[in-house]
Amino acid sequence: MKRAARIALLVLAVVSALAAGFWLHTWNRGGAPFSGNVARLMAASLPDMEGKSQALAQWRGKVMVVNFWATWCPPCLKEIPEFVRMQEKLGDQGLQFVGIAVDNPAKVREFAVKYRMNYPVLIGEMDAIELARVAGNELGGLPFTVILDREGRLIGTELGGLNEQKLTGIIQPAM
Amino acid sequence: MNRRITARFFAEMLLAACAACALSPAAADDLLAPEQAFRFSARLIEPGLVELRYRIADGYYMYRDKFRFTAIPRSVGLGEARFPPGKIKDDEFFGRVETYRGELVIRLAVKSAGGFTLKAVSQGCADVGVCYLPLTQTARLVPARSSGEAVRSEGNASNLILRLRDAAPSR
Repeated sequence: MKRAARIALLVLAVVSALAAGFWLHTWNRGGAPFSGNVARLMAASLPDMEGKSQALAQWRGKVMVVNFWATWCPPCLKEIPEFVRMQEKLGDQGLQFVGIAVDNPAKVREFAVKYRMNYPVLIGEMDAIELARVAGNELGGLPFTVILDREGRLIGTELGGLNEQKLTGIIQPAM
Repeated sequence: MNRRITARFFAEMLLAACAACALSPAAADDLLAPEQAFRFSARLIEPGLVELRYRIADGYYMYRDKFRFTAIPRSVGLGEARFPPGKIKDDEFFGRVETYRGELVIRLAVKSAGGFTLKAVSQGCADVGVCYLPLTQTARLVPARSSGEAVRSEGNASNLILRLRDAAPSR
């Protein structure tokens, strides 16, 4: 093979490998599209801050952002004001945040008031952890967010903090 | 195409692919399992004194106020844990919090005639912005009988999460 052709092929290989790497990376960041068990999450009921059982299925038909968090988790607290803002802005258009706090109720209530949380917050312990796990959170890390379209299909999962820009990118096609 | 050139070409392609992987930034996907991020072991260094050791992986840290130690059976008396000074972090939510990185050695006085299980609950986070649920690790400790040699027991992460209420300190 001629040297020039070989170099050209090599460049092509590098470029395609980079593209593949990038694609794989962004794909991973968005979460494996249909891994995890969303059906179980959608079938679950958890107590709200008043202790009343709430079924997640009641928000079906909306684009749902289910966020697992805790008051002892700084990266969780960082993203919540952005969620509050987005709920305010896009709630009318069918965006619904649901917080699932892996924490004790008194602390969650205190925090929800302080941060003017304008979306439902459910509270769980082992059951909530198990739900996060079946939805793809193998490591038990927080924050962990599951995003579902109006039909209840998984369109993204995120382990670690989200911001408005990133989340907008995930929900936009489903809005 | 010459066979040797083909082989070399594929080797180069492989190298290029590896370079692409390496360029992908470290993210939450590459997180360690909590028992790998916070490696735990404990041993009796002298009669009545336990040394607990956490080897904290680079890029991870633990919170001082989240450690809880208990012995099974409960009749085993545990003294107050002695921590080295940690690093004071000015957290935007919690104010001044003490954290540990690298290696953490904690000493704990214990009153026990026989063997017992030490249960350590801890909580830590990764710098990439992920916090782990409280982690429970245990070590079986048996006082040496005659030789004076302490018996060491490696910690094992048993149940990832204990009851969260046990672990969460009241603030």
